[in-house]
Amino acid sequence: MNTDFLLHYIAFPLIKIAILLAAVFTVVAYIVLVERRLLGFFQSRLGPNRVGPFGLIQPIADGMKLFLKEDVVPLNANPVLFKLAPVFAFFPPFVGFAVLTFALPLIMPSGKMHSFSVADVDLGILLILSISSLGIFGIILAGYSSGSKYPLFGSLRSASQMLAYEVPLTLSVIAVIMMAGSFRLSDIVAAQQTYKLYFVIPGIIAFVVYLISVVAETNRTPFDLPEGESEIIGFHTEYSGMRFAFFFMAEYANVVLICMLTPALFLGGYDIPFVNDLELYKAHPYLVSTLGFISYAAKSTLFAFFYIWIRATFPRYRYDQLLKVGWLVLLPISLFNLFLVAGIKLFLLK
Amino acid sequence: MEAIKNFFKMVTFPELFKGLSVTAKYLFQRKVTEEYPDFKPSIPYRYKGKLHVQIETCISCRLCEKACPEGCIKVFPPPKEQMKIDKRPAEFYLNQEHCLHCSLCVESCPTGSIHHSYEFELVVTNFKELLFNKETLPYNQIKKQYKWNYIENVPIKTETTPLEKKENSK
Repeated sequence: MNTDFLLHYIAFPLIKIAILLAAVFTVVAYIVLVERRLLGFFQSRLGPNRVGPFGLIQPIADGMKLFLKEDVVPLNANPVLFKLAPVFAFFPPFVGFAVLTFALPLIMPSGKMHSFSVADVDLGILLILSISSLGIFGIILAGYSSGSKYPLFGSLRSASQMLAYEVPLTLSVIAVIMMAGSFRLSDIVAAQQTYKLYFVIPGIIAFVVYLISVVAETNRTPFDLPEGESEIIGFHTEYSGMRFAFFFMAEYANVVLICMLTPALFLGGYDIPFVNDLELYKAHPYLVSTLGFISYAAKSTLFAFFYIWIRATFPRYRYDQLLKVGWLVLLPISLFNLFLVAGIKLFLLK
Repeated sequence: MEAIKNFFKMVTFPELFKGLSVTAKYLFQRKVTEEYPDFKPSIPYRYKGKLHVQIETCISCRLCEKACPEGCIKVFPPPKEQMKIDKRPAEFYLNQEHCLHCSLCVESCPTGSIHHSYEFELVVTNFKELLFNKETLPYNQIKKQYKWNYIENVPIKTETTPLEKKENSK
């Protein structure tokens, strides 16, 4: 009994965490490369292809470079907060991965149910939303502690942007929660499987609002005012080397998290399209789990491609336009959509 | 009707999809990047590369030597008696290190013996590699190397020179 407890409550979760972290770090490192190469293709260039075959060792080279750089703390900076800020920005996206479910659960030979998630908690989606809004503390602390005016302005911009887009994002996610009737991510996917309908169809307005606000949440190009790579100066101006890498990785971890969350919410997650999963699962559980994982990965990859495509296409919003879109367009639309979804839930989804 | 059209336009964001389709087109287009060390670039027709001297047709008139603003070229004509039968220079020095690729020598040459090649890789590890005399003037090796893009703009004389005639008759 004691060994059973050790196995199922300590050993397995630890192994899962190790695998998940390794996978997430690899994906975060490689999505940077994929984005740079795809952006190159979108601009009729080739992108980085010098280090290794097709540039596959580029992330390692970048990491080495950042790791070997000098660690500068400005004289005017508040050293404690300055060193704390990257950590604050870094950890929230990685927490979010814990509640994702990657495939249908399997029943082990010992009789125990084995789910493909680290912690499939009841309030999974709420946890992701609340933890990811903690990430803003890192940005604000970075701007505040740098002892320089530009980062401070950058972080203020970022804070108001995040506030403006957190609300429509949450409201559009609430539409999904209403349709599924649960906060648990695996339940949301299960609801889509039982209805045989992806929530993208009844919740198309929610999906559009979600797409726009998610791009703004992750500070990506049409809304990348906090960073402002080319002309306006962002919150991590004073950061260099590994501390900058923390912000950079946090941004891309957020992107990966969103790319994995969106299919679960709107596109059926690990559901295999055009197949009745739940019936097939009774006959071939292992096959369905594997194929489900592959379909989840494929959906996430497609969404990631779409994300990069958006970045390659649209120019940046002006600051007042950004806030106007957030508060005056997306918020009313998503509120109206809640009523619509409530009607759909009452009369159509049964 | 107009109002419905406008509403439809507002809801479906046609401009956004227009932009996305433009970038998607670029995704599959041919890339403009020159992968130089892996693939040699194609060189324009009138490219002014390394100077090539065709010593066989040179008449030792020293016009190129006078035209050169940098003084890269030194031509030593043969002795007067030989000049009557064979005008090829006794010695020809070319200092590629100082060459401006201005093509003034090419314009001045009455026989078209000096001309630009398509060779553009002029990096050397030793300056002495850029100094040429009559024997080491680069001509034949380069022709093989740049076969695909080498256009001969100077016709090589096929008839035998007076010197060769003399040698043949002996």
